[in-house]
Amino acid sequence: MIGTERSRTHPITPVLSAGRSLAWLVPLLLVATPEELDAYRPLVMLVVGGLWLAVSIAWGYLAWSHTDFGIDGAGDLRVDSGVLSRQERRVVLSRLQGVEVATPLLGRVFGMAELRIEVAGGRDSHVSLKYLTQERAQEVRAELLALAAGVGRDAGEAPEVVLVTVPTGDLVLSLLMRSETVLLLAVSIAVVATTVATEELSALGLLLITGGLPLISVFGEFSRFFGFSLAESPDGLRMGGGLVGVTRQTVPPGRVQAVELAEPLLWRRRGWVRVNLNVAGGQQEGEQGRVGQVLLPVAPRAQAVAILSRILPGVDVEGLVFDPAPAAARRRAWLQWRQLGVAVDSGVLATRRGWITRRTALVPHARTQSVTVVQGPWQRRLGLATMQVDTTPGPVAVAALHRGSAQARRMAEEQLARAAQARLGVPERWLSGAAEPPTGREPSSDGRLP
Amino acid sequence: MATTTDDAFAPPEHAWQPVSPRLATARRMVTGLVMGPVLAALVVGAVVVPAGRTWLALAALGWLVLMAWAWWLIGRRVRSFGFAERDDDLLVTSGIMFRRLVIVPYGRMQLVDIRAGPIDRWLGVVTVQLHTAAATTDATIPGLRPDEAADLRDRLAARGETRSAGL
Repeated sequence: MIGTERSRTHPITPVLSAGRSLAWLVPLLLVATPEELDAYRPLVMLVVGGLWLAVSIAWGYLAWSHTDFGIDGAGDLRVDSGVLSRQERRVVLSRLQGVEVATPLLGRVFGMAELRIEVAGGRDSHVSLKYLTQERAQEVRAELLALAAGVGRDAGEAPEVVLVTVPTGDLVLSLLMRSETVLLLAVSIAVVATTVATEELSALGLLLITGGLPLISVFGEFSRFFGFSLAESPDGLRMGGGLVGVTRQTVPPGRVQAVELAEPLLWRRRGWVRVNLNVAGGQQEGEQGRVGQVLLPVAPRAQAVAILSRILPGVDVEGLVFDPAPAAARRRAWLQWRQLGVAVDSGVLATRRGWITRRTALVPHARTQSVTVVQGPWQRRLGLATMQVDTTPGPVAVAALHRGSAQARRMAEEQLARAAQARLGVPERWLSGAAEPPTGREPSSDGRLP
Repeated sequence: MATTTDDAFAPPEHAWQPVSPRLATARRMVTGLVMGPVLAALVVGAVVVPAGRTWLALAALGWLVLMAWAWWLIGRRVRSFGFAERDDDLLVTSGIMFRRLVIVPYGRMQLVDIRAGPIDRWLGVVTVQLHTAAATTDATIPGLRPDEAADLRDRLAARGETRSAGL
């Protein structure tokens, strides 16, 4: 229980935060120590490192002692922080978009976790509580979700049912079979082959790029999605995994703004797909494919479709009938025109596109933010236009490419009508059953003091 | 609700509400401030340096043509902006080569911005921009009179409040 009284994060926080900075300080010292001091290098490192640690722990302690959190009178989370300039943040829990429990390596050693709370908003829309013991992080998460759901705060942890666990073998194989990886590996092999044939060693430098990039990206994704599992609970979807640091994200029901089935060329024969997600507030710049944006890193298509029908009730992905793009689209998109298509059913609008990676994107009508029609010069000559449904930032883009010009506009207008219809009955507090009365104060998801 | 037209960028009822021609003046002034000094330098160069007179004069002429083209293009571009308020949504269109039409339901607006740079302020034109929870929503109406813009903002805010629909 958080309770109405204020509480603090765990006292070990300053030590852990300082400890994490050693990760870049030690290599920096190794490089930056002047030559003349070479004999004293261990001593220099000990003194500078020790000083740094002492100062950052002292500062961390000040910051920690000035930070507390609790549930305020209105049933929302309030986090006060700041040593010199104070910041009081109020998280309106009915606007909660997701809760993440992250356990970095150092945290794992000490049994500590960081709790990140996402609300919808522009930049800097998340609040982080670090560090809490792992049990406490779970407790706080359960309570926040219970409050956000509109049930009693002591409802306890909602029971979860694991839907999917991604086998490690599938994960490794699927990452190796991604189009970018295969292409770069093929280039690497070609480089090696030419080097052997010509006995000219200068080309080997290229290997660092062509061989290194896929290695980094494959290993990065592997360590993020190792042991990935997707579970369902009354509090929403719980997904995550990790090799070194473990991250588990909880997305409450109805927070999914758009989903996408991505099928790279080499995955199609095996029937594999990746499922990407757009969640409001879940975006952080420059973090592609992070936990919370990926619902399933790799899964058989049938399984992914079954999961999708749970997230978007009443939507039958395989039953969607795609209307292909007009013949003129062939002259504009000569590689992907066969894949282009749009489908609409009672719940979602779906678009399909892509040549090397086929992407089927779905957006629930109620999640349509706005609609855009665009037309370039070449499209205009062919009488084509693209209709795109704008959703919250994330990996999924919903674009009906190269439709007939008049049809694009008609689709846009129809989509707005469907969106208006669908929005009539979407409750904010998902277990209380009733829609919140509109307050007219839309963007106040974090009530910062001026 | 669905309008049946042949053109994807046709106005909803009668015609688009245009933006103020003073926007063109403002943009031409900015362009002039950037391109003018280069022209002046070329002309001065042609007068002062006899050796390169022909080439400098030709360059100045070319630059002048470029400026005239920019002048004309700004006029077209400003005339391409248009907006229309309907019962439930706002439509904004723009662009010549790459045409664009954005339709934003009032209930989806998160905030409305009014902006004006120094030259814009001097000439009395401002830019109104609508934001939704989607970053790709690009609903920007430049070149409104300040009073017009304030009225529009208040109307949008009032309609947004009665039709508010969360995320």
